[in-house]
Amino acid sequence: MKQCGKLFRLIFPRPVFFNNLSSPYQTNTTTPMLTQEEVERLHYGLLSHIQLQGDVEVQALRELSSKFTLRDVPAGHTLWDLNSDTGDLHFIFEGTFAEYLQRGTHSFILRFSRPGKFAFSEDLLLYSKRSDTYSKALSHAKVASLPSVHFQNALRQGGLGAKLMEVLINLSMTEYRNTTYEMLQTSGTNRIHAALEQFPDLLHLIPRRELADYIGISRASLFRSLKEIGHE
Amino acid sequence: MRKYFESLPVYSEFFDEAIDAIIAAMDSGISAEKGRVLIELGSTNKDFWFLKDGFLKEMYRSPYAKEDSLFNMIPPSSIFVNEDTLFSNQRPQHYFTAYTSVEILRLKEAEYMRLLQKYPVVINLLYLSGTAEIQKSRRERLNMLRMNKTPNRIEWVQQHRRELYHIMDRITLAQYIGVSRASLYRAFEKNKKYQF
Repeated sequence: MKQCGKLFRLIFPRPVFFNNLSSPYQTNTTTPMLTQEEVERLHYGLLSHIQLQGDVEVQALRELSSKFTLRDVPAGHTLWDLNSDTGDLHFIFEGTFAEYLQRGTHSFILRFSRPGKFAFSEDLLLYSKRSDTYSKALSHAKVASLPSVHFQNALRQGGLGAKLMEVLINLSMTEYRNTTYEMLQTSGTNRIHAALEQFPDLLHLIPRRELADYIGISRASLFRSLKEIGHE
Repeated sequence: MRKYFESLPVYSEFFDEAIDAIIAAMDSGISAEKGRVLIELGSTNKDFWFLKDGFLKEMYRSPYAKEDSLFNMIPPSSIFVNEDTLFSNQRPQHYFTAYTSVEILRLKEAEYMRLLQKYPVVINLLYLSGTAEIQKSRRERLNMLRMNKTPNRIEWVQQHRRELYHIMDRITLAQYIGVSRASLYRAFEKNKKYQF
């Protein structure tokens, strides 16, 4: 186990405790307890991704589910901040989040997270570096959050933790693959169609300027394409 | 192959024994001529493949195009798998074609499982680290695909995927950066510095 801890630190080095550059908008309300219904939803959400083997893992998953805490995130507030060092794992009960990547002075949307899905900073959770992104609630949201310390403890113990890690990487890869399909469409109209297939309510979630950036076309092209498909 | 493992962020000398075992367990795999589809990665294939030499095209069926489309280009010293089969037990939605003649090594699923039993922690860490690297590269490319100007996308490939930039013909480059051939040619016309 000692050796395992050493190896763990090689891939997931001990996080550096930077000064937490919290956004003034990160004022989420934290409520420690989940209702029975929420615990069940969370447990079901975890179960739908992780194939458990044996009673030990079933019990470990139950224990892990009980370590999640409930957070209310008002619209416009962040789930995690740019340069943050707290890599919590979130499971969304209600609301939609957009994850933004900052390049220079400009931020653009990298991906969306919807109810029934996990949301997490890959930089923090998978690569052990400061977050290059931030995640903002597009509508009032309710999430269950697993503090990073519990996530890392689960990982150190192997078994369920390693499976969870594998699931998160695979989920990320699948999301990026689907988004890459959208972005490989050469026409703006097809990109919008592909994006709407992934997120049917996309047009109501973000302003047109952000939508244009998200699908990598100019605003003029976006308006032309939306008109063409009867959305403007 | 050893260089590939040594390049992973997780690598330390502690992994050498397991890496030696992986290398010893690999079979000679495939040599394929340019243009051949790798039928070896069939619908149930869960093996791990290592591209030793040459370049591969990863293709998929786009609902918006008449012909199959390029999803990604795979450079030498890369590991690739049937993601759908391996991660979700589904039929593969992608297939691989040799863009140049290629040489590929294979680690059979059964060998992987055997090594996982023998070196559970190390093999798991190598697997996770390798997958995380693929994921990181996919995110970077996605950021490029969000640039709304063709010249910016070309410059990104020139700077960040040099090896691919030099090997890809213009049609493949246009597909790789998600623009039409006409847009690519216009960008080349405007700026001669993109010439191959």
